Amino acid sequence: MAGNRNRFTVLSLFKSVRATMLCLFALLIVVTMLIFLLISVDYTKKTVLENSTDYTSRLVRQVNRDIDSYIDYMENISSMIIQGGDVQKYLFRDMPKLDEQEAYSRIVTQFNTVVETRQDISNIAVVTPRRDYIINDGTDTLNENVDLQEVEWYKEALEGEGRILTSSHVQHVIRNNYKWVVTLSKGIKNPKTGENEAVFFIDLNYKLLKDLCENNSLATNSYVFIMDGSGKIIYHPKQQLLYNGLTRERTEEVLGFDHDGYFIAEGSGTDDGKLYTVSVSEKTGWRVVGVADISELMKNKKETESLYMLTAAILLCVAMLLAIFFATAITRPIKELKESMEEVEKGNFENTDVTVGPGSEIDSLGNSFNLMTARIRQLMVQNTYEQEEKRKSELKALRSQINPHFLYNTLDSIIWMAEGGKNKEVVRMTSALARLLRQSISNDNERIPLQKEVDYAGSYLTIQKMRYKDKLEYEIEVDEDIKKEEIINLILQPLVENAIYHGIKYKGSKGLIKIVGYGEDDKIILKVIDNGIGMDEAALKGIFDKSRESEGKNGVGVHNVQTRICLYYGAEYGLCFESVLGQGTTATITIPRNFRE
Amino acid sequence: MKVHTKKFLLWICIGIVVAAAGIFFIVNSRKEDEKYRVIFIPKVIDEDNDFWKLLIEGAEMAAAEYHIDLTIVAAETEDDYEEQNALIEWAIDQKPDAILLTPSSFTETTLYAKKVTEKGIPLILVDSEVDEDIADTVIATDNEKLGEVEGSYMKKCATEDSQIAIIGHVEGSSTAIEREKGVRKGLGEYEDRIVDVVFCDSDYDKAYRLMMELIEKYPEIDLVAGLNEYSAVGAARAIKEKGLHDRIRVVGIDSSLEEIQFLEEGIFEIIVIQNPFKMGYLGIEAAVEILNGGKVEKHIDSGCELISNDSVYTEENQKLLFPFREE
Repeated sequence: MAGNRNRFTVLSLFKSVRATMLCLFALLIVVTMLIFLLISVDYTKKTVLENSTDYTSRLVRQVNRDIDSYIDYMENISSMIIQGGDVQKYLFRDMPKLDEQEAYSRIVTQFNTVVETRQDISNIAVVTPRRDYIINDGTDTLNENVDLQEVEWYKEALEGEGRILTSSHVQHVIRNNYKWVVTLSKGIKNPKTGENEAVFFIDLNYKLLKDLCENNSLATNSYVFIMDGSGKIIYHPKQQLLYNGLTRERTEEVLGFDHDGYFIAEGSGTDDGKLYTVSVSEKTGWRVVGVADISELMKNKKETESLYMLTAAILLCVAMLLAIFFATAITRPIKELKESMEEVEKGNFENTDVTVGPGSEIDSLGNSFNLMTARIRQLMVQNTYEQEEKRKSELKALRSQINPHFLYNTLDSIIWMAEGGKNKEVVRMTSALARLLRQSISNDNERIPLQKEVDYAGSYLTIQKMRYKDKLEYEIEVDEDIKKEEIINLILQPLVENAIYHGIKYKGSKGLIKIVGYGEDDKIILKVIDNGIGMDEAALKGIFDKSRESEGKNGVGVHNVQTRICLYYGAEYGLCFESVLGQGTTATITIPRNFRE
Repeated sequence: MKVHTKKFLLWICIGIVVAAAGIFFIVNSRKEDEKYRVIFIPKVIDEDNDFWKLLIEGAEMAAAEYHIDLTIVAAETEDDYEEQNALIEWAIDQKPDAILLTPSSFTETTLYAKKVTEKGIPLILVDSEVDEDIADTVIATDNEKLGEVEGSYMKKCATEDSQIAIIGHVEGSSTAIEREKGVRKGLGEYEDRIVDVVFCDSDYDKAYRLMMELIEKYPEIDLVAGLNEYSAVGAARAIKEKGLHDRIRVVGIDSSLEEIQFLEEGIFEIIVIQNPFKMGYLGIEAAVEILNGGKVEKHIDSGCELISNDSVYTEENQKLLFPFREE
């Protein structure tokens, strides 16, 4: 661009303002639309995710509360049994066999009722370290191959206060059992020693936990699992797969949560990842985790997105149509203005008015343009008028000149004739001069009948003939039919004068001046023919010179006549001289017939 | 202006059509694909045998996971290869998308397994093999390794004077052959202490009888290896009955409740367990992979684990020994 002095502007991008506007509109619309689309898609995603998170959080918290109250309930059962007293009676008191038997049967009945009524309880038992026990309905036995001291939860319950809740494990304390359970155990104090001397435990199978986890209305393909505070799975719908290493769970991440919260596990490939919602139980330290496919949560997102796209596409089309319409509407006046200007450039000032709707810049531009053309038109009219006036005054000025020399010479001739007693001649000459003078002063009109002009030239010739006596002869032959045509005055006489002074005067012999007039087509041809000395080429060329006129004594010169004819009738009309040296000159006037100003 | 309007109307139409097509495509693509039909022919369907039960459970769980229409058929007994062959022919007639097979015989099943592949049906062998390399993939415990793990443990207990007996399951079956080979390899220099190899035909009572006979035949016998659950449990029963478990060490393969109890009691020193659940699961998974045009390895090892009598209830071993069942 170096050296290019054209300034870069937006408008220089395209050929027309309309194209520029269209392209810029399009750009603007597309960019706006894109930004809008991006924002709304992003916002939708966020909102949907937020809502989902909210919803799953509430669900998972609910599951957590249910589990808490479930565990509460189990604790209540254990408290009820422990505080019932029968257990202590049976285990710790030395009683008569009969009483012992009674207590035993009461406990067994109680246990049996619990196991029978609660499908979610696998086992309910009390076991002392000395291997005294009551398990379920009393028919189950302890696994003789198990050393109770090596069973962790048993040891903890025996040694500690409060209840112990295990993670999922295989119950192998009871013979032939080997079921996966969660064990809730509690030490039983011997009232005599104040020490824990037995352990009561309930084994919970997964019936209820599973129900609690599955009875949620998360999206399809979603699930809830329970994990304990050390990262061990308590319940998971794919527990067996997890245990065999056939699938993985993000226990590490979940373990990082001390409070309720959520995180998104990024998926791979087409998988959108999963939303993990964690709820931590204060009571058990368990973490209830809801897992939902993001794509499942977002299933409306795609539809929404395509709806957005469709709407955007339609809006784009509509906007483009409107853009075209508006661009055209806005640029139309400019186009009109331009067309008008082109007309004006060509010199056509008629019908160039531009009409634009009110109010805009283009409107004022159009108005200015209209004003301008109007002003120009007015100026032109004025100019024409002024030219006319000028021409008229010029004509007037030219016409009013009567050669004072001629007047003097004529009067001188009259004096000489009077002294010579030539009364008759004096009368003739004086009356010719009087006619001449009267004609020249009485004719205010620029135009006179040809007859009068011819008479005027005739009067002049009469005077000159008398002055030059035998040296001058003249003839006038003008057709009758043109005699009434009106022509501008004082055009014949100057030519006659010119013929006398430049042709006849220097001729030795008698000269003849002939005035011929006739109509030719729509023109009038007037000829002043003399047989004087004629003119050479150079003289012929200089005949219209103004300078020659000033030299000459004869006021209204040839140039003057030519100018006036041109001014009055137009450039195509005027004078024409033909001359042969030594033979004479013919001056021809061509003017239009029936000329109307 | 007119021309432009027309042009743009055209564009709008194109836009709408494209959008509609897109939506239609999206909606259409969501239609569920046709489910794959897979037939699984194990050696036997035996609810009392944890191995087969778990193998089938694994396959079923994978089928649920991958939305497979799974049919399971099997012969009445584990060694009835003729009935199994008939079932293979029946399965081919069903024109399934893939067939999973646990061949009953290393040699006799080959011909029929071949028919499957000849029909262009993907064949996945689970647990056992045939004597020709025809299957798309074999998912099995590396039986030789399984035997070797068992043998290696025995080696530690063996002495120069040991008398070692091996109780196999089905003579001629690939698993028996390979496990025996593995045991011998594991025993190393004590291989020559093997005094007898007998086969119980996967029958507890026969294994029991065989063990009794061995005790009589070789009074000094001090190491017994069972090559599967039937043989190991049968042997353990005999030894427990004779009260000889302090003198005769028994090692077994596979697990069952009874076997675990023998392990707790200390009749078994160790057992080496396979992972039948994983095997079944991986079998279906491989079938899905093949049907989806993926590549699978020719041999997939489902692994084995040695469990001694003092490590039954460690967290990890619990998971392997006791299948998690919700009920």
